[in-house]
Parts: sequence; structure tokens; C-alpha cells
Amino acid sequence: MNEFNWTYVGVAVLGLFGLFSFLATVVLSLTWYERKMLARIQMRSGPSRVGPHGLLQPIADVFKLVTKEDIRPTNSSGLLFWSAPLIVFVSAFLVWLTVPFADGAVVAPQELGLLYIVAISTVGIVGLLLAGYTSSSKYSVLGGIRAAAQLVSYEIPIIVVVLAIAVLVQSLDLRDVILGNEVTIGERVLSFDGQGAIPFAFIMPLGLIVFILAGLAELGRTPFDIHHAESEVVGGPFLEYSGAHWAVFFLAEYINTFVIAALTVLLFFGGWSWPSPPESVFGTALEEWQTDALGVGWFLFKTYMVVGLFFWFRGTYPRLRIDQLMAFGWKSLIPLSFVNFILMSIVIFYEWPLWVMTAFSVPILVLGLYIGSRRTARLADPTTVQMYRRARREDGGNKLIPEGSGD
Amino acid sequence: MLNSMKALRVTLGTMMRKKVTAEYPKEHLPIQDRYMGFPALLWDDVRDEPFCTGCMVCVRYCPTQCMSAEMTDNTQFAEGDSHRKKIIKTFEINLSRCILCGICVDVCNFDAIEMSHEHERSERERDANRVDLPELLKMGTKFQKDTGWKQSKPNLPSPKERAVIAEAKAAKEAAEAAANPEPEASAESPSDSPPEATAT
Repeated sequence: MNEFNWTYVGVAVLGLFGLFSFLATVVLSLTWYERKMLARIQMRSGPSRVGPHGLLQPIADVFKLVTKEDIRPTNSSGLLFWSAPLIVFVSAFLVWLTVPFADGAVVAPQELGLLYIVAISTVGIVGLLLAGYTSSSKYSVLGGIRAAAQLVSYEIPIIVVVLAIAVLVQSLDLRDVILGNEVTIGERVLSFDGQGAIPFAFIMPLGLIVFILAGLAELGRTPFDIHHAESEVVGGPFLEYSGAHWAVFFLAEYINTFVIAALTVLLFFGGWSWPSPPESVFGTALEEWQTDALGVGWFLFKTYMVVGLFFWFRGTYPRLRIDQLMAFGWKSLIPLSFVNFILMSIVIFYEWPLWVMTAFSVPILVLGLYIGSRRTARLADPTTVQMYRRARREDGGNKLIPEGSGD
Repeated sequence: MLNSMKALRVTLGTMMRKKVTAEYPKEHLPIQDRYMGFPALLWDDVRDEPFCTGCMVCVRYCPTQCMSAEMTDNTQFAEGDSHRKKIIKTFEINLSRCILCGICVDVCNFDAIEMSHEHERSERERDANRVDLPELLKMGTKFQKDTGWKQSKPNLPSPKERAVIAEAKAAKEAAEAAANPEPEASAESPSDSPPEATAT
């Protein structure tokens, strides 16, 4: 076990290279997909000149970015400045090591896969903070701090929803999340269904919505792109980066988008498992590799659908203000995620049927989002205006507070 | 919450709509009739020559001085086929300098110049857009054909036509004289006004 094995190293390196080239292709396709989708939302046609339907446009973009001059601000601290994009990229890339594309199609299977994913994706915050701090630009610093505040806040609902999933299958292994798990307690053998039977989206719709919203915030995508809000902090931590280093940030961002979409599919939509076995669809018995290939294809298809949902959101919603963002995270998503977790624990502890979970979470979801949106609407006035109004109310008729624009 | 759902529905609707982009070099949007492109010289189909006489009014009024013109004697006039004594010999417009103001069209007395629909004239050099008389006439005839352009007033008669008209008039007068031998007598008899007033 502890012997040094060159075969193992070779396989690992090959796996990493394979994964990297796969992810690079995915990122290229995602940029094209996003531009086309946004264009259609705005009734334009999007990239159409480079290659058929603009399919070669991402490659042209990469060529442009790589050949551009790489500028470093004079006062930035060199090594840290250059290493920040790498930190962000590596944390985004490492998450993929344990994401299974199909049963067995995974670079490094781990029993604590969910924990690993949650832990590694947090490292990216360091990169963003570092990028902001070392750029010697006030907008970058602001953006970096915003990124840290936002990402730390929205980690919590994500982790709690992942915990609820772990409670549901009594395992942290992503394979068990799909295929089900068996736990032996004393003499009793408890079996937990995977998503082959029923996707978890139907069992915990509350968790799904919280996961998608918090995931969007975690990616810094519209409507939660506070940390690179162009109109406020001119691109945030990425402001001073150009050329290849900016491209690395870009790569990391799209890999993260794909991660969140893939996790949504794995945790809530059954990953690679078909609605009915592929044999029954095709009518013939399939080899194992054929089943795996079909599984990978089905998984990728679902992931692209979820990514399409993210792009659709981007084309629809304007950006939240930072106080609205923090309020939404701490006052709506985190309580909802804990409600989801506690409900799930109770249902599993008393071994109630799982539809009880659905029956409870749908009304809570509707109610919670209704109240949350009401509160956000009230928060549409800046905090200063609210304070002013309250002061005038408490002032009574004394007119100590002058009349002003707050009315 | 409900409004967010509505927003998603709206963007889904726009996603399904026809796109408004025209793929430009392959696809040209139709030009409005009132579109003002570069100036062009028009062709008189009746006389089979340009309307332009080379009077230089447009050249003098051009704010960017992008035109030059030269006139010559009209051989068709000498033969009696045209009413234009002078005709344009050379005409050049530097379209790179033209600002499409339309003053040349306003000042022209002969319907000779018009803002055509020509607008795709990008060139790589500053001097590459000098167009000469044949090119201007080509632009103009194309414009006339595309828009069904009509002359604002009819041509004056040419010398030959004038001779024909004069002949016809003389013939008509002779015929009238033959029909009514004494037109004065019938005109004078019912008049109420005093003859002194008509005399003054």
C-alpha cells in the first residue's frame, strides 16, 4: 500500500491531463453557449462570423487573450499578484477530481467526496481576496472584500443543504447519493434509496431552490455578481489583470459554474442514472462501457440544461445591491436551509416515508420565498432612508429632524 | 416572487421571437425612399442626355468644396434635338469629402442632381472615392429606376420642336381665320365697358 508505484503516478497524471482538456473544452463551449443564449434573449444572433454559427469564436477569444500583453501594476506585489489566479483556478479544478461522470468514471473516488468538494471550493475565496489585495487598486480591494463577504455568507446554505442530502442517504460519497446506501446498526440493516428510484428534487424542493440560489451567489453570477459589479467596482478583483492571467480567472469562473450545475444534477436530478434503465429504452442488452457512455452523455446533457438555467437568469435579472444581497443570504436562505435540514433529520430519524418531506417543504418554500420577497421589496430603500424614517416616526411632532428627501 | 417568475416568462418569450439582426454582407435591409445617400447626376430619357448643364451652382454652394464641373457646347442643340445650349463635359465629386448635406440638390435649377440611395462606398484610401461623370450618371440612373423618379417640370421645347409648334400654331391660326372671317365684330357687340377703359 505504501510502496511508491509509478503506474499509479502515471495514471494520475493522465487522468489530470484528461480532466483538464475536458474542462477546457467545456469552458469554451460554455462561453459560446452563454453568448448565444444571451443573444437570443435580446433577439440578437450572437457570434456568427468565426466558423459555422460562430462555433470557433471561443478559440479566437482564447488566442486573443493569450497573445495580449500581460500588464502588472507597478505597485502590485509580484509573486502574490501572479499566484492569485492560479489559486482560484486550482481550487476550481481540484473539485472536479471527485465529481463522478458515471458509475466509476471519476478521477479520484472518495468516500468523503461531499466534504472534499465543500472544503476545496472554499479555497477559491483566498485567491479572490489575494487578487484584490495585491492589485494595489482601491476597486480591487473593495471587490475582493465583497467577494469574501459574499462567498463566506453563501457557503453556509450550500453546506447545510449538502448536509441534508448526506442525512438523506447516510453517506458523504457521491456514488451513494446516486446509487443508494445500506447502513448496519446493530442487527438492523437500513437501506436508503438513491436517485435511481426518485430524484431528490422531488423529495426536497426547498433544498433544491436554496442550493441553486446560493450556488448562483457562490459563483458570483447575475443577479448576485456583487464582487465584480462593473458599474460599482469596475470588475472587482479582476480589474488589474489582463491577458493570460485574466483568462485563468475566466477559466476558473466557468469551471465553477459547471461544478455548481453538475452538483445540482448529482444531488437533485439523479446524476447519470436514466429515468428507466437504458436496456429498456434501446431494447437490447448493452455492454458495460455503452451504459457508462450513455450515463456520461445523460449527465452532461442535464448539466448543460442547468447551466442554461443560470444563463437564462443572467439574461433576466438585474444585479442586487450589496445590502440586499447580504439580507437575502442571511435572512432568507440560511433559515430556509436550516429548516430543510431539520425537517430532513426528523423524517429520517423517525423513519417516516419521504413524501412527508415533500409535503412539508413545498408550503414552507412558497411561504418563505413570499415573505423573503416582501422583505426585499421593503429593503428597496437604502438603509439610511429607513433610519431617517424611523427617527422621524419616533420624533413625533417635535420636528427635531428636518424634512428632507427621505420622505 | 411572482414578478420574478413573470420576468423569466418575458425573457423566454423574447428568446422565442424572431431575431432582429441582419447578417449584413449577406443580407441588406430595404432602404427607405426618402433615404439620402451620396449625390448623383440624373439622366434625361427624353433627350437622351444628362439634365446637368454644368452651370456650377452646386459647385459654388458646396460647403465642403468636394465638386468640380466643366461645361461644353451641346451638339444636340446644334442639331436641334435638345433645348440645352450647354451640357456637362466633366463632373467629379470627391465622395470622401461629401457630407451628404443636400444643398447641391436644393440649389439646382434643372433637376440634374439628386441624393441617391448609394451608401456602401467604403474605401481604404482617402482619394479612392473620387467619382467621375459616367459613374455619377450610373448611380443616378440606378436611383431613377429604383424609385420611379419623375421630373418636377417638363422640358422646354428644342429648336426642332419649337419649329413644329410654330408651324402648328400658324396652321391653326390660318384655319381659325378661315372658319371665322370676322371675329372682331362678334366680340365687340355685347361689351358693356366703355372703350376708353380698354384703351388705357
